[in-house]
Amino acid sequence: MTEVDRVRELAHAALASLEQNRQRIDDLNVYPVPDGDTGTNLTLTARSVVEDLDKTTASDRPELAHAVTRAALMGARGNSGVIFSQIVRGAAEVLGAADRIDSTTFAEALRGASDAAYRAVRRPVEGTMLSVIRELAEEAEERATTDLLLTELLPAVVARGEDALARTPDQLAVLREAGVVDAGGAGLLEIVRGLAAGVAGEPIPEAPEHREELGFDAIHQELSRYRYCTVFVVEGEGLDRESLEAELEPLGDSLLVVGDDTALKIHVHTDDPGRILSMGGAIGVLDGVEIANMHRQTEERAERLLEAVPDAEPNASDVIAVVAGKGNRRLFQSLGAAKVIEGGQTMNPSTSELVEAIDAARAPEVLLLPNNDNVILTAEQAAGLANKPALVIPSRSIQAGLAAMVAYDGSRATEENAEEMREAIDAVATGEVTIASRDAQLNGVAVREGNYLGLAEGKAVAGGESFEEVASAVIERLLDEPRGLLTLLTGDGDPPLGDLIKGVEARHPELELDVQAGGQPHYPLLLSAE
Amino acid sequence: MQLTAANTAIVVDSTADFPEAQERFPNWRMVPLYVRFGDQSYRDYVELGPDEFYARLRTADELPTTSQPTPGDFLAAYEELAAHERIYSLHISAKLSGTFESARTAASELGDKVRMVDTETASAAITMLGLAIQRRLERGTTDEEIAALVERYKDEHRLLFTVDTLEFLAKGGRIGRAAKFAGQMLHIKPILTIDDGEVLPLKRVRGNQKAMQEFVSEFTEGSNDEPGLRVGIAHADAPERATALVKMVRDVRPHAEIETVTTLGAVVGTHAGPGTVGFFWFTD
Repeated sequence: MTEVDRVRELAHAALASLEQNRQRIDDLNVYPVPDGDTGTNLTLTARSVVEDLDKTTASDRPELAHAVTRAALMGARGNSGVIFSQIVRGAAEVLGAADRIDSTTFAEALRGASDAAYRAVRRPVEGTMLSVIRELAEEAEERATTDLLLTELLPAVVARGEDALARTPDQLAVLREAGVVDAGGAGLLEIVRGLAAGVAGEPIPEAPEHREELGFDAIHQELSRYRYCTVFVVEGEGLDRESLEAELEPLGDSLLVVGDDTALKIHVHTDDPGRILSMGGAIGVLDGVEIANMHRQTEERAERLLEAVPDAEPNASDVIAVVAGKGNRRLFQSLGAAKVIEGGQTMNPSTSELVEAIDAARAPEVLLLPNNDNVILTAEQAAGLANKPALVIPSRSIQAGLAAMVAYDGSRATEENAEEMREAIDAVATGEVTIASRDAQLNGVAVREGNYLGLAEGKAVAGGESFEEVASAVIERLLDEPRGLLTLLTGDGDPPLGDLIKGVEARHPELELDVQAGGQPHYPLLLSAE
Repeated sequence: MQLTAANTAIVVDSTADFPEAQERFPNWRMVPLYVRFGDQSYRDYVELGPDEFYARLRTADELPTTSQPTPGDFLAAYEELAAHERIYSLHISAKLSGTFESARTAASELGDKVRMVDTETASAAITMLGLAIQRRLERGTTDEEIAALVERYKDEHRLLFTVDTLEFLAKGGRIGRAAKFAGQMLHIKPILTIDDGEVLPLKRVRGNQKAMQEFVSEFTEGSNDEPGLRVGIAHADAPERATALVKMVRDVRPHAEIETVTTLGAVVGTHAGPGTVGFFWFTD
């Protein structure tokens, strides 16, 4: 086996170990912000290293070390991912330059990793993954001798890591209050555990059976005062890490600026991601921009954890909805849908998928929202086959389903909910703008393949090349009767709505307008009026 | 003992949102709660009026906080009314504020002269109970009759309100079971009530017009068009919504008397938030 192959094998082992524990680590995450994505971020970072290794053409160790460092930097996600990329960098620098790899070089590599990680953080905090990497390095340095085999050293290092991780709540109050260990440290430990198993030629240890008990308090940590987690890379020449760091410092917290003079990775929590990006763009080329709404992440985690709290009162009836589009999924979740199954026009869920979801619901009874003509039958079949009473509310569109969802109240029994939800569907007028798949004459409207086609209450009302004209025609039809609220759900192509909205506002000054990024495929716009 | 407007006083706290109390009725007093921005404290309505409060709220970095009057504040009001033989002291639900406890502490200094009423409700609903008592005082009444009225009022008066966001209620910890009703997206308007002294969600609708329609349909279902029907409306920095409600009441219940249209003061406004609209009715 070549050295590159061996490195690949070890990296896969480390990643596998991390992947197994990803969700558990996400749920531990309370520091620096309780956004519940540390496990995911570390996994994504490690994955990008592994993917790069799988493709690399590097022939010698220094070249390989350089490639790994760069892959970690480019792929680093989140606070923990960025720190981890520096751990990789510190270790790779030592290992890339070493003649042979034994216990002493491994100890030096851990020391390099630890130093690089501390350097990356402006104000290092103990009780985090920094403490864990430092203690790993200390343990390795204490034990390493030229004749100690790596397979003998690694178990001791892992044990020390476990010990260091267990002590993180003693070092950091926020962990102690939440009754958890540090998530980043836990992730790092899993990576090292996977490496150790790989070196020893052992299988990756199973994820711990025992799910760490999460205190209810862990759910209710304060939010970061900033909303957006902003991560990107700037590539350029002669980049000045320190001056960029100083410039960004006043605009947010959890700031990390790492890398070298050709590429910098930036991670910051801020309310003004636009400003941060312009500052990056001013000194180089931006890449890998990611902006996440942490408040949303926190809510999602709270929802997930609340499901796991055994004494939270279950609903009398749960909703399972079939929904296409990421934004739409969130809307259904925000209104209390217990489960959202991806699907719609062209991607229908299977009966068995729905049956499984019904039987897995926490509530004793289930309401099913198919949200598409093509799904209603499957939903009815599933309701008949499931072991739990389930009722299909025949919503024919996502918009109709949303109206039903607003009327839903988890504390009410199924029948009572069903009545209110059906009424809500009847009270809403729905429309769509889609793209014609062939030339057609529909309801007196001629439309050519590739043109926009507008439907109101299922009937074609307009066709043509102009999105705005077609959408306007649908809107006017929906507003034939007096309506108070118009909802627009934009599709995955993010059609520009500026002029359309200005027109509607001018023609209907009393109307309330609600525009949401739905993200559904095939329909640039879904509309409803109520 | 025969109770009249001459020998009986009514004390409300400022959460009744009835700042003109004393001006309209010489036997009424309003004791202000406190609202605090940073380290500056103001007496509700007296030192900080609603308009100024909402203007400040729009630009404040931090949300204000509130605190109940001290027992001393109540004692001062009771002593000012020393010429009266009986005082009815009407307060916001004791489950929502410590105001009732503060008033009770003061009242206990004065033997049984002061009759304490936990109205188990808030805002204009407190005022409307006071007005019902005042009507009886003006024709002559007894403690027994007032006690019966208070019980009937708690049972029969209706209150609906809607907020632009549940954030303010949540911040003040006054949200209870309504929390699950959240939905920051989609213009969700929760329709809430106060039941048994606590904020309770009834249903949720989308958009202001729907919320107003919901008020109308509950109101028409729960009332008859008769001269005894009395209505109160309160809003937080949303006068156009209050105006729309007034018009709606005139349309569907032309015989009803609209007793009070008021702005929520700084204290109630701190906990409900701008955009809140409350609708109250009682047949007397």
